[in-house]
Amino acid sequence: MTVTAPAADPQTNERSRRGSRHKAGRQRIGALFIAPYVIFLVAIFAYPVGLAVYMSFHDYFFAAPGAIVERPFIGIDNYIRAFESPAVRQSFGNVAIFLVLNVPLTVVLSLVLATALNAAIPFRTFFRVSYYVPYITASVAVVGVWLFLFSGGGLVNNLLGPLAPQPSWFVNSTLAMPLIAIYVTWKQLGFFVLLYLAALQNVPKELYEAASMDGAGRLRTFMSVTVPGVRSATFLVTLLATITGANLFTEPYLLTGGGGPNGASASPVLVMYQEGIQQGNAGYAAAIGILLIVAVLMLAGIQRLVLGRK
Amino acid sequence: MKRKALTTLAIISLGASLSGCGGDSGPSAEEAATANGPIDIWYSNNAEEVAWGEAMVDAWNAEHPDEQVTGQEIPAGTSSEEVITAAITAGNAPCLIYNTAPAAVPLFNKQGGLVSLSEFDDGASYIETRTGDRSAQYLSTDGEYYQMPWKTNPSMIFYNKDIFSAAGLDAENPPLSTYDEFLATSQTLVDSGEVQAAIWPAASSEFFQSWFDFYPLFIAGSGGQQLVENGTSQFNNPAGIDAAMFWAQMYERGLTPKENYTGDSFADGVAAMSIVGPWAIAVYDDAVNWGVVPVPTPDGVSPDEVSSFSDEKSIGMFSACDNRGTAWEFLKFTTSEDADGQLLELTGQMPMRTELPTTYPDYFAANPDYEVFADQASRTVEVPIVPNSIDIWQTFRDAYSEAVIFGEGDLQATFDEAAQRINDLAGEE
Amino acid sequence: MSRATVEETPTVQSSEEGQRSSTQSRSPRRKSQWVRLGLLTAGALAFLFPFYYMLVGSLQEDPNPSLSGAFPNPSNVTLDNYQAINSSISLARSLVNSGIFTGGVLLGTLVFGLLAGYALAVLHWRGRGAVFAALVLVQIIPFQLLMIPLYVMIVRTYGLADSYLGMIFPFAINSVAVLIFRQFFLALPKDLFEAARIDGASELKILWRIAIPLAKPAILTAVILTFIGPWNEFLWPFLVTKDQDLQPLAVSLANYISNLAGRAANPFGAILAGACVLAAPAVAVFLAFQRHFTSSDLGSGVKG
Repeated sequence: MTVTAPAADPQTNERSRRGSRHKAGRQRIGALFIAPYVIFLVAIFAYPVGLAVYMSFHDYFFAAPGAIVERPFIGIDNYIRAFESPAVRQSFGNVAIFLVLNVPLTVVLSLVLATALNAAIPFRTFFRVSYYVPYITASVAVVGVWLFLFSGGGLVNNLLGPLAPQPSWFVNSTLAMPLIAIYVTWKQLGFFVLLYLAALQNVPKELYEAASMDGAGRLRTFMSVTVPGVRSATFLVTLLATITGANLFTEPYLLTGGGGPNGASASPVLVMYQEGIQQGNAGYAAAIGILLIVAVLMLAGIQRLVLGRK
Repeated sequence: MKRKALTTLAIISLGASLSGCGGDSGPSAEEAATANGPIDIWYSNNAEEVAWGEAMVDAWNAEHPDEQVTGQEIPAGTSSEEVITAAITAGNAPCLIYNTAPAAVPLFNKQGGLVSLSEFDDGASYIETRTGDRSAQYLSTDGEYYQMPWKTNPSMIFYNKDIFSAAGLDAENPPLSTYDEFLATSQTLVDSGEVQAAIWPAASSEFFQSWFDFYPLFIAGSGGQQLVENGTSQFNNPAGIDAAMFWAQMYERGLTPKENYTGDSFADGVAAMSIVGPWAIAVYDDAVNWGVVPVPTPDGVSPDEVSSFSDEKSIGMFSACDNRGTAWEFLKFTTSEDADGQLLELTGQMPMRTELPTTYPDYFAANPDYEVFADQASRTVEVPIVPNSIDIWQTFRDAYSEAVIFGEGDLQATFDEAAQRINDLAGEE
Repeated sequence: MSRATVEETPTVQSSEEGQRSSTQSRSPRRKSQWVRLGLLTAGALAFLFPFYYMLVGSLQEDPNPSLSGAFPNPSNVTLDNYQAINSSISLARSLVNSGIFTGGVLLGTLVFGLLAGYALAVLHWRGRGAVFAALVLVQIIPFQLLMIPLYVMIVRTYGLADSYLGMIFPFAINSVAVLIFRQFFLALPKDLFEAARIDGASELKILWRIAIPLAKPAILTAVILTFIGPWNEFLWPFLVTKDQDLQPLAVSLANYISNLAGRAANPFGAILAGACVLAAPAVAVFLAFQRHFTSSDLGSGVKG
């Protein structure tokens, strides 16, 4: 497993400078507490991830134990092939469109909804449950309804009448990906609302009282107290939304019949799946997967720079 | 400390990979070829085939107490590639998988997952006697059989007689034999307002979807050509372009929608026609007043000369099998004249056996509907059994989706370019 | 997190009470309350509609894609779609399997994940940065990349085919949950821990008595998150179990949807009914849990 040391956590540094009398003891306890998780990571991920890296430099395919097969080392050929493939480039472009829509939408909507839900309002349970239901339901179960709603003769087009897009949503190369982005936002929002709700509990009420005493309006209180107050949760939400988006697979697989129309909704993981599992080019698929990982790591680094900074 | 942790990590993963790649590979191939003993088999999980599979296993087990067969259902849905590839790699594939897609055979073979049936003394002769001339289509490029052709669902056109009548068409002799007739009929159907679509094949991009729109028409129009023959693409020849132009017209005129239908468009009466195999008879019998005709050709030929796509499923024997002697005997047991007769009886799918109507006269006398499919079954064409076959079909589907379904770019140029890439893929070993 | 302020006010409380008092004190707020309620209602309807549609569709005898199909029609209502499922899969058996699979993952995540999250957020030890990096990296790796090697390892190296352990193992500690634990432990005021340490409390006791009660909303979020994963997971248990007696509900229903629903009298209704059956237990569990999300008892947790 490749382990890149992250930029040191600013809070950690500050605290260790302040020092602690129990440092040696806590060192041992810390290692003890983390040990099961580290063993789990090693047992579950070390071999497959190592193999994936190895595969990406070989003309690799999965073979039966004992079978005599040739899987020569081919250097970075798989990576070159991935860079040159229009299908791969298109899929990365598609995910970029997805993220540009999905991440800001997720962050803004979930924070606004969480703030609204955090107050004393009637039917709070009802509201929380309704925003949460899409998240707890399997994609396999809900895609059927979305397909039905957004098909050519479906309910949405019936409502829109002459305004219905031609061709219809999921077969329209301009609309397919944005609609998937909206679908995923809808599907995942409940989880992020809950994350924010949990974070909002930690914003001290004194700050709200102070803001109210200063005569701050609702919007200004939101911007100057709530938003900075949940900053670390925002980082988490952004990070998780980016990662979920980058690993997009089930939705194009089920909603647009394998990334249609014409690959306009194919995601890198979908291309990887088709190449590696359906077509048996595991080495090439591994290279696509590793390129994706590198791209997401870079994105996460940028987000850390922007949001993680004080 | 960090470095030490990383080293430990590396060592553990190395250990895992060694034990993952090494391990015992069981008895040698020669020993296994004659070994007898218990075996596992997988069959597909639709109710009819399960019933047949269970009957077969029970009949065999009653006679062979020392060579018990354990049958399990395997989903034939979209996830079967993962299941079989994972089982091959882990070495726990069963002895026999009923419902192995011929297009997947080259890949499983490349993975070292399949046993050559030609290695059994009576292997090739058994297959050729049972299946006849069509068996040549199931040879791999090294001239051996890695699959036993089992059953076929030859593609034909089902049409809804009630909708045809309502649209003012002759429901008993519908004009559907040439491309022009088919297009005109489709136009009439949609214009009549009786249906949303004339025919509604899936418009999505999965590699296998072309088997149910373009390929049957190409086979019929070209007089029985495969997508690739002798390592060279055939679909960009005039017959292929004609078939593609036909579908392009259907999509452009809105006679065939560019999106998938959720559910069964034919059963729901949303489409007036469908490309189906004999399985459809049992499925639609109560729901639709149907008729059946061969797939159209450019200029129309006599129905008894039209070839079509086989939609065949084979039986594969997997290399993880230790008791291959028993597996081969069970394979022959389940493809005997009796067993094939039961398959026909229970599923309505056509065994890959010559002279079906004369072998099972009682069945076809009792079920005359199936006769036309039995006749079509004698003139079927398979997918090419060549390296990278799934890659090839995906490449073709992508080109077809762009040029035909969405009508973008020049059809001939797009097909020529795809043909070039497919020639390269088919040439790889 | 606005740490400076938190340190000055070690008592963490729900902002809700503060807002409630100010809401009732001034009348302009009442108007905005209505606006808020209206927006929430509109949003909730948009969120719930597909489920309503799913339920209505699952009860239809014939599929009806038109506008009128969105309303239940007594002449077109049937329970046949549910009966079809009940007769083709063993619901009770599948539910038990799902329960064991999900329960195993929850247990692993709660026990080891909380320890890991606490270690990552509060304790000092060398290699912490590396483990945190690995934690983030693990999220980024697409499962499809690892699936077949993982299968080979679990089945061949560990010999766990057709077992609950084989199903649970790759999911045993949910890394997103660990990340959430870490993030919320980090947000807790450090002085609380220091004070407890000065009193001589062990780290395990601090975790149990202080950190966990304070991070309760986060823990519940993580529990739901962890629950959803294995409950809805289809591919992995499907690969690992060939024995139908071991298959969880998601696998049985996915098999039903892809292979058997097409033969049902109303295939679309049968698919939607399958979706409802899969969704219902998850919704029920959430309903049972959700009242714990109201965090009015949070303050007492700190004091005690």
